[in-house]
Amino acid sequence: MTSHARNAAGGQAWFGLVIAIATFAASLLLWSDAWADEGPQTPDGMVRLSEINEGALLLKTMDHGVYVPAPMIATDIELDISGPVVRAIVTQRFENPSEAWVEGTYVFPMPEDSGVDRLRMQIGDRFIEGEIHERQQARQIYERAREAGQRASLVEQERPNMFTTSVANIGPGETIIVQIEYQDIARLDDGQFEVRVPLAITPRYIPQDVGYLLASTGSMQNSTVPDADRITPPLMLPEGEPEEGLRLPVTIRAHLDAGFELGQIAGRFHATLVRHTAPGEASIELANGPIPADRDFVLTWQPADRTRPSAALFTEEWNGQTYMLAQILPPAELSADIPRRPRETIFVIDNSGSMAGTSMQQAREALIFALERLHPTDNFNVIRFDNTMEQVFPQAVPANWENVGTALEFARGLDAEGGTEMLPALVAALRDGNADDTSRVRQIVFLTDGAIGNEAQLFEAIHRGMGRSRLFPVGIGSAPNTYFMSRAARLGRGTFTHIGQVSDVAEEMENLFTALERPVMTNLDAIFPQDAISEIWPAPLPDLYYGEPVVMTARLNNPQGVMILEGQTAGETWREQLSLSDATQSSGIATLFGRNRIRGIEETRFQGANMEQVDAGVLQTALDFHLVSRLTSLVAIDATPARPSDETLVARQTPNMIPDGWDFEAVMDDQALPVQHASLDTALIDQLRPGLDPSQTRLDENGLPLPATATPRELLTWLGALMMLLGLIWLLTHQERRLW
Amino acid sequence: MVTRSKQNGARPGLRRALVPLAAIALVLSGATLVGQGVWISAKAEIAQVLLARAWTRAQEGETAPTPWPWADTWPVARLSVPSLGQHAIVLAEAGGEALAFGPSHLAATPPPGAAGTSVIAAHRDTHFAFLRDVEIGDEVVLERVDGERVLFRITHTEVVHADRSGIQPEGGPARLALVTCWPFGAVTPGPERYVVWAKMVETLEV
Repeated sequence: MTSHARNAAGGQAWFGLVIAIATFAASLLLWSDAWADEGPQTPDGMVRLSEINEGALLLKTMDHGVYVPAPMIATDIELDISGPVVRAIVTQRFENPSEAWVEGTYVFPMPEDSGVDRLRMQIGDRFIEGEIHERQQARQIYERAREAGQRASLVEQERPNMFTTSVANIGPGETIIVQIEYQDIARLDDGQFEVRVPLAITPRYIPQDVGYLLASTGSMQNSTVPDADRITPPLMLPEGEPEEGLRLPVTIRAHLDAGFELGQIAGRFHATLVRHTAPGEASIELANGPIPADRDFVLTWQPADRTRPSAALFTEEWNGQTYMLAQILPPAELSADIPRRPRETIFVIDNSGSMAGTSMQQAREALIFALERLHPTDNFNVIRFDNTMEQVFPQAVPANWENVGTALEFARGLDAEGGTEMLPALVAALRDGNADDTSRVRQIVFLTDGAIGNEAQLFEAIHRGMGRSRLFPVGIGSAPNTYFMSRAARLGRGTFTHIGQVSDVAEEMENLFTALERPVMTNLDAIFPQDAISEIWPAPLPDLYYGEPVVMTARLNNPQGVMILEGQTAGETWREQLSLSDATQSSGIATLFGRNRIRGIEETRFQGANMEQVDAGVLQTALDFHLVSRLTSLVAIDATPARPSDETLVARQTPNMIPDGWDFEAVMDDQALPVQHASLDTALIDQLRPGLDPSQTRLDENGLPLPATATPRELLTWLGALMMLLGLIWLLTHQERRLW
Repeated sequence: MVTRSKQNGARPGLRRALVPLAAIALVLSGATLVGQGVWISAKAEIAQVLLARAWTRAQEGETAPTPWPWADTWPVARLSVPSLGQHAIVLAEAGGEALAFGPSHLAATPPPGAAGTSVIAAHRDTHFAFLRDVEIGDEVVLERVDGERVLFRITHTEVVHADRSGIQPEGGPARLALVTCWPFGAVTPGPERYVVWAKMVETLEV
C-alpha cells in the first residue's frame, strides 16, 4: 500500500517534469520549423525596436548601410472641407542633416478610410507629379532611379491607415519637399461633424505579431501583416527631443464650407483659432503655433440649428461618369423609447501575457462593469482565454443574482499569463445554442488588445460562424490592434470601442451599452429609379447603431429621379426620399467611391472570395482611381541625376546650404521656430529604444518602481516536502500498527 | 474468530481504509507543490537554453526574435560576471512574464552603455542568486545585440524599498543597476530590493 502510494506520488512529480520537458522540446521544434522557412529578417544593423508613437524619419546612409535618425523638419497639413467631404494636402519637408547622400523613409499615419491619390515632389521651382503603378513595379522604378542618382519619391501603403514615404538621394544638407493629397469624409455622429487627422501612430507589437503569425498560419504567404521592419521606425524618447522648438512640428490649417449655418467649431485636443469668413464658412488654424506629432488632431463642428435634419447629397462628374455621396442621419426619435429587448450577451476576455498590468486591470473592470449592467431577463456567459480557454457556464445562463455573482467572482480572479490563442475562444463564443431564437438579440463583447497575427483566420471564423450574433470588440490598453478590431466589428456587424486608460472604462462601456441596448436599424436599402445606378459601396449597407448616419457612395448612370432609403427599426420602417437632382456639386466624390470599392473588395477576402479575383479587383480599381492601395504605389522621379556617380559612398566634409529655390511657401511660412539638427554621433543611436507611453515613463522623486523578484519556489518546495514527509510518517506508523 | 473480527473490527476497518487515503492525499499534494517548485527552476534553466538560440538569431540581425512562438519577450543583451563564471541572456521587459525566464531589462530605462541608469532585474533564487556573491570591484560585461560589449565595474550595493528605489534612469553617466529581492534565502516575497550598482568602464572592441 505504502510503496504503491509513494510510487504514485513520485510518479506524478516525474510525469509532470517529463511532460514539462517534452512541451519545451516540442516548442523548440515548432520554433525552429517556423523560422527555418522564413530565415532571419535582417534590417541593416541598427537598434531593433518594436513600438512607434509617432512618425520618425530614418536616414539610410548609402555608404554604411546603417540607419541614422534625422529630424523631420516640418509637416504642413491643409484641409479643405466642403460639406462632409475633406480634401487634405500633406506637405512633408525632408532635411538631411548628415554629410552623406541619404535616403529618407518616413512612416506616417493616415485616416483609415481615406484615399491617397496624389504625390508631388518639389525640385527647385518644378513640381514632379507622381504616377500610380502596381506596387512592385513602382518600387522597381524607384530603386532604378535611386541607383542612377536621380531624386525620387515613393508613397506606399503599409496598412490601410499607415503609409510610408521614401525619398532617395537627398544631398548633404539638402531638403526635399514631398506633397501627398488624400480624400476623406467627416464623420457625422449625434448631430456633430468630426474630422480626424491622425498624427500619432498606434504602436504595433510586432514581435508578437511575427511569433503568432508563424505559429498559427505557418507561412507569410496569405498574411495581411507586411514586413514588420517596414512599420517599426524607431521612437525618439521625450528626453531626446530638442528643448526648444519641435522635432516634428505640424501645422494645420482648415477651410470649412459647411453648407449650413455654423454653430460651435472646436479642436478636440488642441486650441484652435476660428475665423468666420462668410455665412456657413470658417477658417481654422492652430492657436498656439505648430504642434508635436504625438497626438491626433480632431476638428468638430455643428450646425447652428441642431434639430435641423442632417441629410447631405453630393455628386461629381469624373471621367464621363457621375459619382454620388449620401450622408443621412435617421431622426433620433425612431431609436428612442423603444422597449428593451431581452438579450443574450457573451463576454470574451483576453487574459494572455501581453495584457499583464494595467491592460488586465482595464479589461477586468470593463467586464465587471458590464456584468453589473445585465438585466435579470438577459442571458449571458463569460469565456476567458490565453493559450487555454475556459467558460464559466457550459452555455448561456439567465443573468440572475446567483449566476452574475459566480461570473463576478471569476472576473475578479483573472490574471494575465500565457500566450494568445484567440481562435478557439472566438469559435466558442460564436457557437449559438438557439440559433433560431429571434426574440433575443445575441451579442458578443470581446475584450482584448488584439495582439495576434492570424487576423485572416479570425475574420473567416467570424464570417462563417456569425449567424444572428453581433460582434462588439473592445480594444484594451494604449496600443490595441485597431486595424483588426475595427474590421472585426464591421464583419461582425457591431461597433468597436476603445478603452485607452482605466479612467475611461466607465464612460466607454456606458457608450457601448447604449449601442447594445438601443435597437439597431437593419435591412438598410437604397432604392433608385430603374437604370439610374450601376454600383453602390458599401454593399450591402451596414446596420446602423444609435446616432450613426447612413454613408454611401454610388456610381450613377443617370443622376435624375428620386432615391429612397429604407430601413427597419424594431418593427417600424423608416423611409426617406431624396431627389438626386438636388445634389450639390462637389469634388473628390469619385475618389471616395474608389476607396470604398477597394475596401469592399478587400473585405470579401474574408468571406471566402478567390484571392486572385480580390487582387485583380483591387488593382484595377486603384489604377482607375489613381489610388494608393495594398497593391499600388505612387512614384515620382526627377529625370535629371542629382548625385554624381563618383559620389556614391563618400561623406562630404562640409554640409551644404539648402539649395536655392528649395522654397515652399506653405512650409516656409512657419519657419519661425528654430530648426533642430540631430547630430550624427552614436549617442543619438543609443537614445533610440523601445518606447513606452510617456505617461508610463513619468517618474517622481521616489525613483523607478522595481518589479517583484521573488519566486514562491522555496516556499513551495519546503511546504511540499513537509507535507510529503508528514504523509509518509503517517503511512509508516499506520502500517506498523497494522503489523501488531 | 470470524464473529470477533466483525464485532471489534468494524471501526478500525474504516479507519484503516481512511488513514492511508488521507496520508496518500497529503503525499500527493506535497509532491505537486515540490513539482511546482522544481518547475520554477526548471523553467528558468530551460528557458535560458532556448534563449541562447534566440540570442544567436538576434545577433544575426533578426528583429526581436522570440525564443518560442508564443513568447511575449525576446533577448536584448547577454550579461556575464567573469569572476563568478556566471552568465545569462537578458530579456526585454515586454509582457508580464519575462522574469520567469531570465533577467529582464526594464523598458523604462536606457539600454546598457547609454547615458543614464540601465536597470536589469531578476529573481533572487534563480538567475540573480549569484548577486549575493559579487564583490565591489568585480567586472560585469554586457554584450548588446549590435555586437558591442560594454564593460562595467561594480561600485557599491544597497538595499532599497521597491516603491522608493530612488533610481532615476535618465541622465548622468552610463551606469548599470542589477536588482533582485532582498533578503536572499527568505521564503516569502517582501518589499525590499537589493541593488548592485556598476559604472561603465569602457566599450570593448569586438
